[in-house]
Amino acid sequence: MRSSRALWAQRQPLIKFLGKRHTPKAEEIDHAPHAHPASPSHELPESFASYRGRATQHGPLGGQQQQQQQSTPSQSTSSSRQGAPSGSAAAQTSKPYGAIGGHSGKQLGSVQPKQGEFWDRNELPRRFHRTRWTEAEMEALESGGASIVT
Amino acid sequence: MYSRLLPRSAARSALQAQNQTPHLIRASPVTAQVSERIRQRRGYATPAEERDLVIIGGGVAGYVAAIKAGQEGLKVACIEKRGSLGGTCLNVGCIPSKSLLNNSHLYHQILHDTKNRGIDVGDVKLNLANMMKAKETSVSSLTKGIEFLFKKNNVEYIKGTGAFADEHTVAVRLQDGSETSVRGKNILIATGSESTPFPGLTIDEKKVITSTGAIALEKVPKKMVVVGGGIIGLEMGSVWCRLGAEVTVVEFLGQIGGPGMDAEISKNIQKTLAKQGMKFMLNTKVVKGDDGAEIVKLDVEAAKGGKAQTLEADVVLVAIGRRPYTANLGLENIGLETDNRGRLVIDSEYRTKLPHIRVIGDCTFGPMLAHKAEEEAVAVIEFITKNYGHVNYGAIPSVMYTHPEVAWVGQNEAELKEAGVKYKVGTFPFSANSRAKTNQDSDGMVKFLADAETDRILGVHIVGPNAGEMIAEGTLALEYGASTEDVGRTSHAHPTLAEAFKEAAMATYGKAIHY
Repeated sequence: MRSSRALWAQRQPLIKFLGKRHTPKAEEIDHAPHAHPASPSHELPESFASYRGRATQHGPLGGQQQQQQQSTPSQSTSSSRQGAPSGSAAAQTSKPYGAIGGHSGKQLGSVQPKQGEFWDRNELPRRFHRTRWTEAEMEALESGGASIVT
Repeated sequence: MYSRLLPRSAARSALQAQNQTPHLIRASPVTAQVSERIRQRRGYATPAEERDLVIIGGGVAGYVAAIKAGQEGLKVACIEKRGSLGGTCLNVGCIPSKSLLNNSHLYHQILHDTKNRGIDVGDVKLNLANMMKAKETSVSSLTKGIEFLFKKNNVEYIKGTGAFADEHTVAVRLQDGSETSVRGKNILIATGSESTPFPGLTIDEKKVITSTGAIALEKVPKKMVVVGGGIIGLEMGSVWCRLGAEVTVVEFLGQIGGPGMDAEISKNIQKTLAKQGMKFMLNTKVVKGDDGAEIVKLDVEAAKGGKAQTLEADVVLVAIGRRPYTANLGLENIGLETDNRGRLVIDSEYRTKLPHIRVIGDCTFGPMLAHKAEEEAVAVIEFITKNYGHVNYGAIPSVMYTHPEVAWVGQNEAELKEAGVKYKVGTFPFSANSRAKTNQDSDGMVKFLADAETDRILGVHIVGPNAGEMIAEGTLALEYGASTEDVGRTSHAHPTLAEAFKEAAMATYGKAIHY
């Protein structure tokens, strides 16, 4: 027993129990995009940064939003004073993107539908056209569904 | 028609609700059910309900992610076009090939290796059709098992081909010919990979085959040429060699097993496979192929230029690698880009440049291995639900299921030399292992590579019986940053093949007992 203990004292095993698993808090994690560990180039293409720069349709991305708030504190305080919604909604309303009248007609381009876009349901293939109501369905709707359960 | 769908009392309760308070009509599930039936019958296009996660691809990466997402409480849909889940691995890859490898090994052993074991066997015949049936039974039971797991974990299984309509919508061409679309807050691409074709040869899966055709040949070819001496080529070459084909492997590199396999281990397995009847042409390139006639002709010459010759074969197996499969995915509709090898570009959290679209498995970076895809599948769901996940790309094992098996994890000698790392080597042959001796199956060795100063394990390489199972211990040791002494001082049961693992570790920091 003693000899084992003596031997153990001399030896430093590399495997050590690290204790109970620690779950990091959300704010402890850096979610900024970094190159994938198995990426051969070890770098991200420029498009990642440029997309994050442009991304507004779902509200600014996490890191970007924080940066905006840090860089323009006066803007956020003024919008909150006016009773505007906080967070991403506030950031969205402060920008003209997506708002009606935010772009000129020239910027919006041609009014003709693009390929694959249609103005009217009847321009679509026949299976998408409006189907006729049947008397039975009308009756079913009006009776709250009772007539179809017979 | 509807009487079968709704109980009689349903209509009564709906009417009662209408008579009492109008508010209840809107809230009543029965009314909602009725109106839903009517809507379906009219065939109106209804706005698609948004899922938390839509997964394109029901292969190993996709189905594992779907199950994990279901377990985490996400509303998840998985789109698969094959008609059965499991992707290449379960349907035409790892699983069917292992069935053939196992059964062809049994056949070969009964033919050639029973006399010395005291077993006299009578007339032994191959029934290839039944061997294939056994393979199909294993495959179908496993794929149906995944369907069951989908149901158990509330995963919506959509049978069809998905393509991006926009950044949050996937248009699906269903197998019955109709179309639908699914919207997802998050979308996961897990579309896998396909065999890389060889220029000049037309894959017909009869004469010129890929791994898919190699598991479904109707008769044993007389002569088979395998183009590419990597893992797939050697495994399928082994199967048909054992069943009676004359197999020649043509490899461009100077070693078999691919660049990840340690050179010493590669030489060892090449010698053993050559004893089993396989022929090897290393440092050789295929210049031209002619598959017009019944016999396929391949012009080959030394890789660095030299003597040319023509090989003839009934069947040519093209096994030069796999490439990411992202065709018809509508990537152009959302502006996603691939790198020069067709892999979708992602960051360390598997996000593409559109952060809600993530990619895992064969169609992105890293080795094209099913277990790597599984790890990524779990990690990516954890990133979505818990904000953190982890895959250690330095500790992913590779296994070649020939006989003997070859398995490795971590770095090989060539990689360590290139990186300028000082390392020490410890080996132990299976011929000195008691269990391997009693099994009369003692070809091969275990090899450890450890840091010269700290003794930390840097790589484990095994060629021998059961190497694929044994490498799990090496992977665990590598993952936990163990030293060879940690492994050497851990008790291993006697008599087991795993003792060879322990003794190789002992040979790295000191001396093995039995060698």
